[in-house]
Amino acid sequence: MRKYFRTRSSETKIIFISVKEISITMTLPRTLKKIDDTDLVIIRTLQRDARTNFVDVAKDLGVSIDTVTKRFKRLIRIGIVRGTTVLLNPKGLGFEHVASLEIDVDYPHITRVVDALAKKPEILICTPTLGRHDLFAIAVLKSIEDLGQLRESIKGYPMVRDVTTSIWIDEFRLCPENFEFNNVKKAV
Amino acid sequence: MSMDKIDLFIIGRLTKDARESFRKIAKDLGISPDTVMNRYKKLTRDGVIKGSTVVIDPRKIGYHGMAAFLIDTYPSHVLATEATTDTTLILDELIKMPNIIVATKTMGDHDLLAIGVVVDFEHLIQIGNHIAQIPGVRDLQVSMWVQDMEICPKYFIL
Repeated sequence: MRKYFRTRSSETKIIFISVKEISITMTLPRTLKKIDDTDLVIIRTLQRDARTNFVDVAKDLGVSIDTVTKRFKRLIRIGIVRGTTVLLNPKGLGFEHVASLEIDVDYPHITRVVDALAKKPEILICTPTLGRHDLFAIAVLKSIEDLGQLRESIKGYPMVRDVTTSIWIDEFRLCPENFEFNNVKKAV
Repeated sequence: MSMDKIDLFIIGRLTKDARESFRKIAKDLGISPDTVMNRYKKLTRDGVIKGSTVVIDPRKIGYHGMAAFLIDTYPSHVLATEATTDTTLILDELIKMPNIIVATKTMGDHDLLAIGVVVDFEHLIQIGNHIAQIPGVRDLQVSMWVQDMEICPKYFIL
């Protein structure tokens, strides 16, 4: 049997996932808006500290502040940059643990489970995956007991077959700088 | 490390826009910009705010999916003759890799978890091969998805 998902973005991308043979079609070629070295410097600088004063960025680049402001606005307009945010330590907000969950579901009900999970405040990401399990989710939790409760509540859904939990051990590393911009970089 | 409504308000606003001026936030709170500045500094000092960054849309820079790499390692005694392969070393290697945006040690089914952004299947296989070559890695399981590519859902950058 076949089931398809439509991504939430405006570009329509349909993925066919069949239970017997997994066949996937991705509509690949899409025109990506290009950026140049100046844009890249702005992105990389703000990735390290989003509050960097544009005066300093302009000075480093040897361009006017106006240029930096315009470039930044363009990056937001074309959607490469979605915005800026602060990086928070979950522990600082009382969330002592981060855990990932791999969930096995009766396939026809997968979207219902995803929707139900996405509503839970402690779930950061919940998505159907290709792999050994059907769903992958990440949750922040105040205590191990909360993880137990979350697990129980997920197992309570009639269409959920199994839940595997992994607790992230301290000090997980985040590195948003690891994004590569090769695909959108203008050839020099 | 106690937080009150003012701290949470500041965090809420900066989560939506890290570049928002403290003056504006102060005005909305009815307090002085200096107070906001001091609160921000305190939150940073206490480690609640770890920094700030731009949120990139992976789709707009040519990525078509994300993948979770679930990694099993050899127990260290098996490799007694080799240089010590601590999981910390593997973790260091992982986060150095381009395209890997989160890496952590885990307790549970596997020993390590890494999340990466993926251009296409060829790229996915490349990343998988690269991880498999890190000394100490015994087994690798991959899960891939194309939905939910918001790297900054709610509060935490992931």
